[in-house]
Amino acid sequence: MSNIFIKNNIRIASLILAITCLVSCNKYLDVDPKDQVTNSTLWTSSGNADLFLNNIYSGLPDPYNKLESEDTWTDNAMAGYNYYDSRAIYARSVYTAVNAPNYWIHFNNVRKCNVFIQNVTASTLPDAWKKQRLAEARYLRAYFYELLWTHYGGVPIITDVLNENTQGDSIFRARNTDEETFQFIDNELAAIADDLPTKSDAGRATKGAALTLKGWCELFEASALKNPGNDPAKWALAAATNKQVIDLGVYSLFPDLETLFFEGNNNNSETIFARTYLGGSATLGGSKEGLWGLRNVGGAQVGYGGVNPTQELVDDYEMNNGLPITDPASGYDPQNPYVNREKRFYQSIIYDGCNWLGYVILTRRGVGSKNEIDLTNGSGGGPNTGYALRKTLDPKYAVSGSNHLNSANYIIFRYAEVLLSYAEAQNEAVGPDASVQDAVNQVRARSELPALPADLTQDEMRTAIRRERRVEFSFEDKRWYDLIRWKTAEINLNTPSLHCMVIEKVNGVWTYTVQPAADGSRIFYANKNYVLPIPQDAIDKNSKLVQNPNY
Amino acid sequence: MGIVMGLCQTILKKTARQIAVLLLFSFLAASVFAQEKALVSGKVTNGKTPLSNVSVKVLGSKAGTTSDEQGNFRIAAAKGQTLVFSYIGYAEQQVLVADQPAINVELVINSLSFDSVVVVGYGTQKKTSLTAAVSTMKGKEIASTPVTNLSNSLGGRLSGVIVTQNTGDPGRDGSSIFVRGVSSTGSNQPLIIVDGVPRDFTQLDPNSIETFTVLKDAAAVAPYGVAGANGVILVTTKRGKRGEPTLTYNGYVGFQNPTVLPKFANGYQYALLRNMASQNEGLPLPYNQFALQKLRDHSDPDALPDPNVWDLIHKNAILTNHNIEISGGTEKVKYYGSFGYQYQEAMFASTNNRKYNLTLNLDAQATPTTKISINVNGRNQNTKYPGIAPGRVFELLQYVNTRRGALYYSNGLPGDKIPATIYGSGYEKINTMALYSQIAVEQDLPFIPGLKARGAIAYDPSNSLDKLWRLPTHINSIVDTSQHPYVFKNAIFDQPLASLNETHRQSYQLTYQASLNYVKSFGSSNITVLALFEAKSNDSLSLAASRRNYNVTIDEIDLGSSSQADMTTNGSSNSTRQLGLLYRLTYDYAQKYFFEASGRYDGSYYFAPGNRFGFFPAFSAGWRLSQENFLKDITCINNLKIRGSYGEVGALAGAPFQYLSTYSVYGPAYVLGGQAVQAANERSESNPNITWERAKKTDIGFDLSLWNGLLTLEADYFYEKRSNMLVSPSVIVPAEYGIGLSQVNGGEMKNQGIDFSIGSAYSLSKDLQVSLQGNFTYARNTLLKVFETSATFDNPNRRVTGKPLGTQFGFEAIGYFQEADFNPDGTLKSGIAVQPWGAVHPGDLRYEDISGDGKINNDDLTKIGNAPTPMIIYGIAPSVRYKNLSLDLLFQGSANANLYMDRQMQWPFYNSMNAYVANFNSWTPDNPNAKYPRLTNAPTTNNSQQSSWWMTNVSYLRLKSATLAYSLPYNIIHKIKIQNVRVFVSGQNILTWTKLQNYDPENAGAYTNLYPQQKVISAGLNVTF
Repeated sequence: MSNIFIKNNIRIASLILAITCLVSCNKYLDVDPKDQVTNSTLWTSSGNADLFLNNIYSGLPDPYNKLESEDTWTDNAMAGYNYYDSRAIYARSVYTAVNAPNYWIHFNNVRKCNVFIQNVTASTLPDAWKKQRLAEARYLRAYFYELLWTHYGGVPIITDVLNENTQGDSIFRARNTDEETFQFIDNELAAIADDLPTKSDAGRATKGAALTLKGWCELFEASALKNPGNDPAKWALAAATNKQVIDLGVYSLFPDLETLFFEGNNNNSETIFARTYLGGSATLGGSKEGLWGLRNVGGAQVGYGGVNPTQELVDDYEMNNGLPITDPASGYDPQNPYVNREKRFYQSIIYDGCNWLGYVILTRRGVGSKNEIDLTNGSGGGPNTGYALRKTLDPKYAVSGSNHLNSANYIIFRYAEVLLSYAEAQNEAVGPDASVQDAVNQVRARSELPALPADLTQDEMRTAIRRERRVEFSFEDKRWYDLIRWKTAEINLNTPSLHCMVIEKVNGVWTYTVQPAADGSRIFYANKNYVLPIPQDAIDKNSKLVQNPNY
Repeated sequence: MGIVMGLCQTILKKTARQIAVLLLFSFLAASVFAQEKALVSGKVTNGKTPLSNVSVKVLGSKAGTTSDEQGNFRIAAAKGQTLVFSYIGYAEQQVLVADQPAINVELVINSLSFDSVVVVGYGTQKKTSLTAAVSTMKGKEIASTPVTNLSNSLGGRLSGVIVTQNTGDPGRDGSSIFVRGVSSTGSNQPLIIVDGVPRDFTQLDPNSIETFTVLKDAAAVAPYGVAGANGVILVTTKRGKRGEPTLTYNGYVGFQNPTVLPKFANGYQYALLRNMASQNEGLPLPYNQFALQKLRDHSDPDALPDPNVWDLIHKNAILTNHNIEISGGTEKVKYYGSFGYQYQEAMFASTNNRKYNLTLNLDAQATPTTKISINVNGRNQNTKYPGIAPGRVFELLQYVNTRRGALYYSNGLPGDKIPATIYGSGYEKINTMALYSQIAVEQDLPFIPGLKARGAIAYDPSNSLDKLWRLPTHINSIVDTSQHPYVFKNAIFDQPLASLNETHRQSYQLTYQASLNYVKSFGSSNITVLALFEAKSNDSLSLAASRRNYNVTIDEIDLGSSSQADMTTNGSSNSTRQLGLLYRLTYDYAQKYFFEASGRYDGSYYFAPGNRFGFFPAFSAGWRLSQENFLKDITCINNLKIRGSYGEVGALAGAPFQYLSTYSVYGPAYVLGGQAVQAANERSESNPNITWERAKKTDIGFDLSLWNGLLTLEADYFYEKRSNMLVSPSVIVPAEYGIGLSQVNGGEMKNQGIDFSIGSAYSLSKDLQVSLQGNFTYARNTLLKVFETSATFDNPNRRVTGKPLGTQFGFEAIGYFQEADFNPDGTLKSGIAVQPWGAVHPGDLRYEDISGDGKINNDDLTKIGNAPTPMIIYGIAPSVRYKNLSLDLLFQGSANANLYMDRQMQWPFYNSMNAYVANFNSWTPDNPNAKYPRLTNAPTTNNSQQSSWWMTNVSYLRLKSATLAYSLPYNIIHKIKIQNVRVFVSGQNILTWTKLQNYDPENAGAYTNLYPQQKVISAGLNVTF
């Protein structure tokens, strides 16, 4: 047998195989992923392009699935567990650029907005659709910048889509100044407000949402932190913008503060902008009851007990006669502290002796209650202040853990805030005029409180508005930003301890004693903690970023 | 493709009828040929001493005898018939009866039979001809060990294989397998081939396995091209042999218990520890003397209980395995069939795993030049868990403490949610059906002697149904401890109504192979040529539906709430494709010099059309010095071969489709206008140029066998450089970039080490033999090039480049702050570096200020531990045989691995969990060198920084398995017409030596919320008729 013959045969055989292969190979390997679409599909129909915007909306913060409410960073509440970050790290200000809360990730959302704006602007989609959707994307971008600005100060303003291939080193951007960042947000919102409808699908940005965000940023800019010289023009600007929202005439206070937050009242007349939820869906449902609600009710675990209101907050609820408990005329009895308090107290706080889910809740000591106050810094989600959260929680969904059952939206802005922001700004810019009185009293009246005395000074009005804000917006993630902008965090969050209410039998009599809560100390360094450190990871990757002072 | 398929189909049709007929008559075909018989005699030795009781049989008949005390035998056999000699511990030998005056046979100890045939990629080779690095194991070595998942049987038995079993959870207890360690930042999964086709092997019936082969170097894996870089494990199932039908029963019953359980604090100890922690924090003590006394004397078991979670576990859980095999064959048809049943209970009585395996392998000589092989391997597996996954249950067990209440109250009512979770939470049932089927046709091409064409098609459908039925769990609690007797209240924990989730998954894998094989000898030269075309596709889909809020507790998907909000449906599908053209050429001269070239031109759907194909060649050579004249006279050397190989292989390390610039569509994504809506998301920025990783592998090794098997050694040095390694370039863009980048072929890594296996066998007398097998693998990798920020790259302590992958970084803990480090006012004395995580106290961890700047920050991070994957793994297997009694042991160990103790391993009371008894060894002024820092109720940020303090060496040595067996003497069973009866007791994970407390050292996963490894003791029986 000749080798040549063998070789030829092998060659022929190989050739046949190779041809078989080459004819069909590339085709054989053509697999299209079935969950992906291309540029040409996405940006050629408004329905498809909407999908991209939907994704940006879904990037809005998702507080109702977080273990901790932002109020647990403040003097309104303590986290129910001693190892939760808000208690172990943030409350003690022991964070560094490595383990601080990270808002820098919202640059991911900024990019998405830029991608949408760039592609939709270049597209030939219908003009009316383009106008509204572009304004929505710019609204969302402004909102994400608001989160960055309030937490970091000046940040890089990026309005193009960064591309390392075409832009080279110019993808590394330095921080804009604090002032430039505010101006950018303010200008953007001014530019797009009129492109947005006053009413839209629930969840979408509207003209009112844009003006409210604008008014809020202006209020932040006018407050002590950013306005050390107390320039009244800044206050006037904030007052004017909030007035614009009031004058839109599309919002009104919802009659009941308790059910305002229930799913049946989503998108009510008071809601200006909200993060939306859909219960029963593991990706869309909210879990606040399971995460924040009282841990043990009726012998079963129905929540993690993540949020425990402090005595400090409880003391700020007025008596139902409209007087603060510190007023000798208020009728407050420290040994019977939970009677005749204002309506919002009963709507917001679970306290010893109250009714919840059909059971009387006892936090007092000595009766073996699973809700007995924990004075030993244990970690069982038992109330360590003697109080548990009630506000916004729907009894229907008291199921422990991340249950994703609730469809109630998380309200980012509601009309009451516009009223109180207007009142605050107008009081600073002009003084406690009738419009200030009227705005505050509208909010008070909804909760059946009498009007404020008509003769309050500017300072007294300021104090009244600040207390009103704290109480009205407790557990709505407003307190942190207020303490920061008022520059009062260094006082309120710098205390040997927040306080709890201990109820125990002394000489056969149930006695109420306010005392420091276990693990309740708060530290706040005024020289650095008014802004967060930029994440170390971001500093390491971009040498143009300058870290905030003292981090 | 079309041509190949057409060819196969035609052949299939033509031969189908023939096969059926052959099958029917195969049992009848073993008719005896009338031939003239004569008495044949001879002697059996092991080279030195005679062997008695050796079974001598005539192949294909019932005739048989045994050798006598002097090793002599006598048997009636005709010329042309074959005698089969078999003896425990020795390789079976066959001798053709010809005109020999006497048939003298020298049996060789089993594992030393270096003339055996080894399964390699797409074929077999004689072991003496191998130039590649390959390790092998017989299936029967592990068939009797009480192990359910085959991946757990490889550790310590095969050199070059690093195995870690992370959990003992029935049905989910497979090991991670690394061939020669970790070589890439991406996937390091070896390719698993069962009977020539890529398939899962873990759930096959151990009794049906003929061999395991591990392909380690480039020469061995090159035929697998892009899939070969991480090594290949070939699993071959048994096939029929010519001879009378043989029926075998194999079975055992075993009892499982955890290898180790954490020693939790009891009620009294928990209370003491909590008191210590609160005292350290200056807080009131949670337990007063009164309560402590009650905890100590158990006088109030309902309000102050002493719950012991280990009372809840099911001790001595059953593991049983039964298998029946039949095999035999004639000249024309050989068959093998096996049916296996396995049942495994678990630590919780509500969990079990049931498996049925069926194997049918048929080889038929359809025409004088056509051979057809049909394999069918089917499996049905049913696994049942509680409604809460066992891993989660094991986590929940760690929460039980006196503060949470009794597991059961003294009146029998369940208290804590744990018992209800295990026994009353519903179930998850997973039913998997998988079929491996294939047909291969091998045709001699008569116009060229030695040339064969082969076509094969494998079709592997599988489907599974996962049904999760969650029931509300009922628990009880005491209403008010001030009332006596206590009043109990029943309540529901978690969801108030039942829910059901059903997920159906299907996949179809289709593999085509067409090949030409040529074998030729001329003079002293031998060549073989293999050319093979292979195409593989896999299409899978899943469909899931769920309902909630069942008013009736009937577990049917239809019977849940009919509200739209209570229903979900989900589905997805995907496809994979690969095809390649491979070759192997071997040449040897006089069985002395060996050369081999192999390689593959391979394509994958992963990449852009221009980057889909790659070529991966390898070359190897061997020199059998023992065949050279200058060594031939040294009789002690039976075999000495040196070999070396070099080649390139590919790896698909990352995800497919990274070349595409597309948007993912998903939903439901958000709620607008009250309706759930879909969304589209920009995927990572695409890399159109992405392609394979390339592994350049070098191997140098030798095989040595001395003094007739008294010592055998196979040792290899290996070096691999992975280039084009797929790494994420995300650090080259700022965090503000806002999107991840696709991987790029930008990394480099090397991996080198040695592996060897060593064996020794010695007959102390004719009745007593001892042997020792051992193997050792050391693999150490180094990252040569990865993307790093200057923050780590410019700091030699933090630099990742140049260190092994998985190296753990953190602060160097230098002990505790002691009271002497503080001023009277509680501030730290000057000169001590400031730690930024809040005020420190005596008993808190102190870290080294490596940068010397007076404060602890990221500049002080440094290497604190090795990767969790061990660099060293070894096995030592001594065995002793005395007459019919044998004892086989396997010690297995690993070293150079570090586990970072996290969460509850660092902190008592973590997340409201219990504490360990070991937590009493915490810092106090009187115990300044304690194992744990000062006790606090919550982890302090300072003490829970990633630091060397929590790095643990998880080296271990364990008696992995032991088998004591007794075979009934031949002269007894011979009379009852049974070939072999063997009874045995066997054990798995019997003893473990390790530094790690409370957990199994192989549970090297995070947080230890893992179902523990099991220790199994079993008794079994093998009978061959």
